[in-house]
Amino acid sequence: MPTHAGTPLIEATGLNRVFRRPRTSLTRPGAAVHALREVSLTVRRGERYGIVGESGSGKSTLLRLLCALDQPTGGTIRFDGQEITGRPERALRFLRENLQIVFQDPMSSLDPRMRVRDLVAEPLVALGLPVAGRVAELLDAVGLPASSAERYPHQFSGGQRQRIAIARALAPRPKALVADEPVSALDVSVRGQILNLLADLADELELTLVFVSHDLSVVRHVCETVAVMHQGAIVEAGPVDDVWAAPAHPYTRALLEAVPTLEGLI
Amino acid sequence: MLKVEGLTVRAGTVELVSDVSFGIAPGERVGLIGESGSGKSLTALSLMGLLPEGVTASGRARLGERDLVGVPESRMKRLRGGELSMVFQEPMTALNPLMRIGAQVAEVLTLHGRPRQEARERSVELLERVRLPGPAQIARAYPHQLSGGQRQRVMLAIALANGPGLLICDEPTTALDVTVQKQMLGLIAEVAPALLFITHDLAVVASLCERVLVMYGGRVVESGPLREVFTRPRHRYTQGLLAASRLTPRGTRLPIIPGAVPAAGHFPGGCVFRDRCPHATPACATTPALTGDGHAHACWHPAD
Amino acid sequence: MKGGQVKGGRTRGGRLNAGLLAGGTLVGLVVLAALVSFFWTPHDPTLVDAAGKLREPGGGYPLGADKFGRDTFSQLMVGARTTLYVGVVAVGIAALAGVPLGVVAGMTPRGWLSELIMRVNDLVFAFPALLLAVMLGAVYGPGTLTAMIAIGVATVPAFARVARAATLQVMVTDYVLAARAAGRGRPAIAVRHVLPNIGSVLIVQASVSFAIAILAEAALSFLGFGTRPPTPSWGRMLQESQELLFSTPRLALWPGIAVAVAVLGFNLLGDGLRDYLDPKLRRIRAEG
Repeated sequence: MPTHAGTPLIEATGLNRVFRRPRTSLTRPGAAVHALREVSLTVRRGERYGIVGESGSGKSTLLRLLCALDQPTGGTIRFDGQEITGRPERALRFLRENLQIVFQDPMSSLDPRMRVRDLVAEPLVALGLPVAGRVAELLDAVGLPASSAERYPHQFSGGQRQRIAIARALAPRPKALVADEPVSALDVSVRGQILNLLADLADELELTLVFVSHDLSVVRHVCETVAVMHQGAIVEAGPVDDVWAAPAHPYTRALLEAVPTLEGLI
Repeated sequence: MLKVEGLTVRAGTVELVSDVSFGIAPGERVGLIGESGSGKSLTALSLMGLLPEGVTASGRARLGERDLVGVPESRMKRLRGGELSMVFQEPMTALNPLMRIGAQVAEVLTLHGRPRQEARERSVELLERVRLPGPAQIARAYPHQLSGGQRQRVMLAIALANGPGLLICDEPTTALDVTVQKQMLGLIAEVAPALLFITHDLAVVASLCERVLVMYGGRVVESGPLREVFTRPRHRYTQGLLAASRLTPRGTRLPIIPGAVPAAGHFPGGCVFRDRCPHATPACATTPALTGDGHAHACWHPAD
Repeated sequence: MKGGQVKGGRTRGGRLNAGLLAGGTLVGLVVLAALVSFFWTPHDPTLVDAAGKLREPGGGYPLGADKFGRDTFSQLMVGARTTLYVGVVAVGIAALAGVPLGVVAGMTPRGWLSELIMRVNDLVFAFPALLLAVMLGAVYGPGTLTAMIAIGVATVPAFARVARAATLQVMVTDYVLAARAAGRGRPAIAVRHVLPNIGSVLIVQASVSFAIAILAEAALSFLGFGTRPPTPSWGRMLQESQELLFSTPRLALWPGIAVAVAVLGFNLLGDGLRDYLDPKLRRIRAEG
């Protein structure tokens, strides 16, 4: 596959997502909640793009839209030049093959009643791709023994479960990987292992990475570009080092000041 | 004022907390650092007499003149919410969704013998003390009408209601956004009479505490003044944890501790960290004692 | 997972296993009686013996005989067969229809199809099962099959509701989201993720419904709308003993005990299974 580093892979334009509260009156519809307002972003091939925001900022909603797990109420998303909004599930095959997701809590994102082998093979089976030998290959790539395949998720530690989730996401050889707070539920002593693994895999497989976190310092370690979200809108975006060194928006400044650090102590 | 000696918590034959000793002076803020399975929460729960069924504590713990371990529940009930109180991680589940905030704060006061009318007035004062805007309105609100940060402030008001001598906080800000966390930490530092602050987050401890205890595998592996422990860690676990907590520039590899935290009861004998420690030798099969004045560590091969 | 909860879970699990054990034993007793009755009963349960009518217990008739001289013990054994047969078929009908309906409704919570399913469900639910059975019996003639179908249809809403509620819970989990992101379609998610994860809830529902079905069949047979003579049935044994209730109470006592044992057994089994299969407790056991 020829690479086109620098050309846009994900382009979102003017995204809006309005949720309706359940109606409380017979005559009036339920109140509208604007989860996203006019969000636009471009993620280029090979880029590591961070999205930072607190709870309620709309980052999870944005992520679901990017993965076509939810539909926007306004705006468009193009992946690799193809429109993904408004399509039925069966017309999203190209997206499912090329964009995969890793969730925050690996305990809840792995079906407790499935063996690791079936979990990792799930995207392959779902997309009708050959499975043979691929599971062992993937487990090896994320640093798990081949014997893991026969076991169940609850038999693993948090860090190992996240490795399983990463193996599953990589199964169909996607171009892009979306990671939703992938280290937030992990112990500090294993966080580094998972971040290193993600970085290695992104290098090796020339992955485009969309990395969502509430922690700007984690995003700074992983990504080169960052978008800061607040109340459903992107308030600031740009090279992460610039944003880190000279935050332009008051909210970004507040966020940076609020993060407790060990700087100055070590 | 709090003195813990040889605190051990067992579930059946499995030792979940082993021989933990420490003290907290009046006005002192002590951080208890540990990852999942380190026994940090069990240590706190055993001081509160709130261990789950089937889990037992032994050893000594005294708050002022009162024993906390091996004391009948009826006595602990009077201490809890009185001289000793605790704020938990999850502010959503800790409040009764059907009771107004004011009533919940007042309840702790009446439980400890205040007349109803006085309790009602005092509860508004308490809400004001934890800097909730419009405390009178908040008192009339229900928990679901408040944000997570506000609910956690209410929990703090409840904990402070009867003027406790010691406040225990178990990850009180983990479920909160960072901007809210910062305010909450400032507030805790201001109002806590003496504080035992339990967390997995080293940076949070650094912004709040004067002294730290580092727990791993149910043992205190290092303790001492915060600045000393964080700048010159002796135990290899503390060293690794500090290194892993620092996020290096992009493109570089993060320092890691190999392996994973074992499940409770599956830590190695001897030094609990030896199966993940790069410096481990056969000597580590013997349990190292926590030694040192002020800055103590339990390691056979400490860092300099 | 904190170590402390490990032990808490284990003690709790131990206590609950007692319920499971008791329920299993009682149900096992009924099943055993039914199985053995295929090969052996002390006497032919349908054999009318005028000479031995109202025979007292003893002498090869452990529980005596009824007003036609039929051996009570043999009737009970074969009656267990009827009881289980009715329960299996009625619960089978209810589950086969109710579970797919509930899963479909749960997977499209805001769609018109879900609305339709649940409203029709409410309609059926509002209709008393016994009344339905009596109506069906009046139209198609009373019999075991009619009773089973009536009980089964009346139990469909219970299954649909339970399946829908459980499905709603599964549908909001990250692993379903992950499966969708992996490219799984709705049918595959239903089969691979939803059904295995709502299975334990359904098993519990099945055993409770089984108990209700047993009671319903006994009631129907008692009213004459259930199993027809000569096939032995606990409900009909009760009915036939009615006139002798004061002179020979044992004739009502034994089938009454049999119904109680079976119902209690299935209820205990259901409760025990609920706790045994509870994923939270199970995870604790696995880690402990």
